[in-house]
Amino acid sequence: MTAQDTGERRRTSDARPVITDLMDEGTILAVAEEAWVSLVGEEEVLVPLAGELPADVVSSWVDVVGPWTGSVVLTTGQATAEALSRALLREAAPEVLEPEDVEDAFGEIANVVGGSVKAALPGPSGLSLPQVGHAPLVRNPVDVCRVDVLWRGEPLTISVQGALPPLPASH
Amino acid sequence: MSLTATSFDWVRELVRKESAIVLQPGKEYLVEARLLPIARQMGLPDVAKLVETVRSRPDADSTRKIVEALTTNETSWFRDGDPFTALTSTVLPQLLAARGANERLQIWSAASSSGQEPYTIAMLLDDALPNAATRVSITATDLSREMVARTKAGRFSQLEVNRGLPAPMLVRHFQRAGTEWEVSPNLRRMVNASECNLAAPLPRMGPFDVVYLRNVLIYFDLPTKQSILRRVRDLMRPDGWLFLGAAETTLGVDDSWERVVIGRSSAYRPLKGA
Amino acid sequence: MRALVIDDSRAMRRIVTGILTDLGYEVRDAGHGGEGLDVLNEGWVPDLATIDWNMPVMDGLQFVSAVRSNPAWRRMTMMMVTSESEHTQIVRALAAGAHEYMIKPFTADAFRDKLALLGLLPQEVAL
Repeated sequence: MTAQDTGERRRTSDARPVITDLMDEGTILAVAEEAWVSLVGEEEVLVPLAGELPADVVSSWVDVVGPWTGSVVLTTGQATAEALSRALLREAAPEVLEPEDVEDAFGEIANVVGGSVKAALPGPSGLSLPQVGHAPLVRNPVDVCRVDVLWRGEPLTISVQGALPPLPASH
Repeated sequence: MSLTATSFDWVRELVRKESAIVLQPGKEYLVEARLLPIARQMGLPDVAKLVETVRSRPDADSTRKIVEALTTNETSWFRDGDPFTALTSTVLPQLLAARGANERLQIWSAASSSGQEPYTIAMLLDDALPNAATRVSITATDLSREMVARTKAGRFSQLEVNRGLPAPMLVRHFQRAGTEWEVSPNLRRMVNASECNLAAPLPRMGPFDVVYLRNVLIYFDLPTKQSILRRVRDLMRPDGWLFLGAAETTLGVDDSWERVVIGRSSAYRPLKGA
Repeated sequence: MRALVIDDSRAMRRIVTGILTDLGYEVRDAGHGGEGLDVLNEGWVPDLATIDWNMPVMDGLQFVSAVRSNPAWRRMTMMMVTSESEHTQIVRALAAGAHEYMIKPFTADAFRDKLALLGLLPQEVAL
């Protein structure tokens, strides 16, 4: 990077960083692994392999607002989200998990992963409360860094994605 | 597949031979947990397969990885904090009084693992002395090449800084480095890290004013304990201080030490004329 | 000993409560800072409060400041337990009056290490 810039033919990435300028898949995986080992269980490994997500997926995410603005989104099958919630709650898990239990636990995992992702980004940034439901849309295909993993053989994706559409090309 | 008795015995013998550390029976789970990542790294399905592979075709790299994985422990910063309290309350004032103003204090962290112990000492001294960087030198040694490299880098994961590091010390002495935390450059300059096998003849170092040799002797058999203590003593100043782990003592092992109680902890000092 | 666990996540409240209960603590919980203050105003003042940062209604930092402004609650030890992990955030929380800061994710061992630092780990389980 040079401090001098003629301003001509600026690439969009010069004006506003996209996530791939700021972190790579390895960082996201490392962050997720730490979260899994401490929240889900010491023996719980994430295998960095892609699998086919089932039809009934659920996402949990937190928004990061700062020099880079976007969301940290976890997406997995409904059944896997439930299994994750049980693992998180361990002996405190109720016999029958209510939808709110799953929303709450799966949302907390997004909060923890999102907090660590945020810490690795340029700051200061704010972190939203977690949300659970249909994942926010990808606004800019270039502004996405995503890892696919298997947990207990089930697919799960972690996507760090920008909230802003690409800047119009300058002429 | 789980570990057979033969495989476990082979690992035990290997570790004893290479590091003189004795793995007690019943530590099969530890062997499984520590060696699984190595098996995975080598593209093998489990630890049994790893043992089989390395047994049939031994190579120094895999052997070393196995020994290192089994001889290092997760450490927390102020684990069993009393020996650190003793350093600032008693040992440091006495040493400052006994030494000349330009004499550098030499401290040895003799099984420094990933660096938590030498940097804990560095933080305490940096907070206690205005000129710690020029007044003190900390030597950190470990059996493991990987651990020595980590100590030199001075970088710790989020999970590691969560282990017993007081938050005020974290913000005073560390900066964020991506998802990790990095020790400040002036503390890194105080710490010199190198490889060292305590069970073999030691390199020329010291003489040390203070030695931390904690939770090391427990792994060794009696004759090795005796020779380690003798070699450590040879590298210490006559009025130096040795700190052992809470479950360790020189009593009944080597009678050339005097035990001194400091608060809730104990230190050992070379007996005059012993 | 008593502890008040403040976190908007029920899962996290259960996890922290589990660790503290195993150590012999009597635990109450609250879903945000305002509910936490309600508990204190009842006269139930704990030895330890564990406090999340980002919560609806009243966040953890506001709770810490509110506690610091009331001398009756001075002996209470406050530990942030949060996924906020930037250097400046930790400095802010300590400046506001928090005694310790635990970054999520954490293990039960790490939690006990922090209690030991604060002198709040019951002796009989200190090993």
